[in-house]
Amino acid sequence: MPEAEPRNIVEKFFNTVGYILQAPTVWVREKIVEPNQKSYPWYHQKFRRVPTIDECYTDDVVCYYEADTQYRRDKQVDSEILSILRDRFEDCVMYEAPDHLERCTPLHKQYEEATTNWFTKYGDLGAYHNAKTCYMKQKHRLLWERRHGPVGTGMKSDLSE
Amino acid sequence: MVVFSSLRPLLRFQTNIIKNAAISRPMSEHRVFNITPSRWQWNRFKDLLHFYLLLGIIPCTVVVTCANIFIGPATLSEIPEGYEPKYWEYYRHPVTRFIARYIFNSPQQDYEKYLAFIFMEDERRKLRKLTKEVKRKIAERNDYQAYFYRPVLAKYHRVSREAADYLETIRGD
Repeated sequence: MPEAEPRNIVEKFFNTVGYILQAPTVWVREKIVEPNQKSYPWYHQKFRRVPTIDECYTDDVVCYYEADTQYRRDKQVDSEILSILRDRFEDCVMYEAPDHLERCTPLHKQYEEATTNWFTKYGDLGAYHNAKTCYMKQKHRLLWERRHGPVGTGMKSDLSE
Repeated sequence: MVVFSSLRPLLRFQTNIIKNAAISRPMSEHRVFNITPSRWQWNRFKDLLHFYLLLGIIPCTVVVTCANIFIGPATLSEIPEGYEPKYWEYYRHPVTRFIARYIFNSPQQDYEKYLAFIFMEDERRKLRKLTKEVKRKIAERNDYQAYFYRPVLAKYHRVSREAADYLETIRGD
């Protein structure tokens, strides 16, 4: 956001004080530091996709380890995506303060859906988990859904007609 | 501080003047053991201060300042087509890039070394499991080891030796 014009003498005073305090640092940066710096690139590493845990044979330790590292990277990526959605929603709430309940509902819905999906995949696994435990969680969830219907609709009792 | 401690020899001159006239006949030595409190901690403090300041803080500050001013951090950019970046080009600060390039192994090397290691360990685990199972069976059946093949048969060697002797008798040498 660009600097707003000072509305009165108090704001002008504080703006001036801030400018005086920042001026030496800004001068050093613009005259001494930036001309001497070289510009060269750094890149964001892209990893190749390897077979996931469900495509590995049970006695293939190497495949397990590669799938596990890929799982950890994917979990980090998903956590970061969730953080971004959360930041978006919170910024919206802070900006729209009095009428945030109406304005921020789509962002809120998006964030809630993302949280639910994250929890379905990664939640409740404990601190010392790996790709295999996550895969087993999915298996148990699918079995439960086969017996009792979608998650959230309650368990059916053992008495079946 | 380094300068002042080297001027200490100059202090020795003032002690020789303060002596009484009656006992200043130098006929024998009078060596005195001056009982003073220990100056060990103070000396050690000075040593440590010199060490960490001159060999630690000042070189590090100089190196980091030069790295930030004359080289500067990198700019994030897209990977160009057909180019495989080196493993140190994935870091931003020049000091980190230096450490990653010259001091540490590449992450890919470590990863592949670990994969090889766990593969060999898994092979050993399978062998140990098999031997344990064999021992268990031997114990269960009161049995013993018997190999199911003989690696070398002497019969064919004997046959060919006999043929060679016969040929030698026909042909001579």
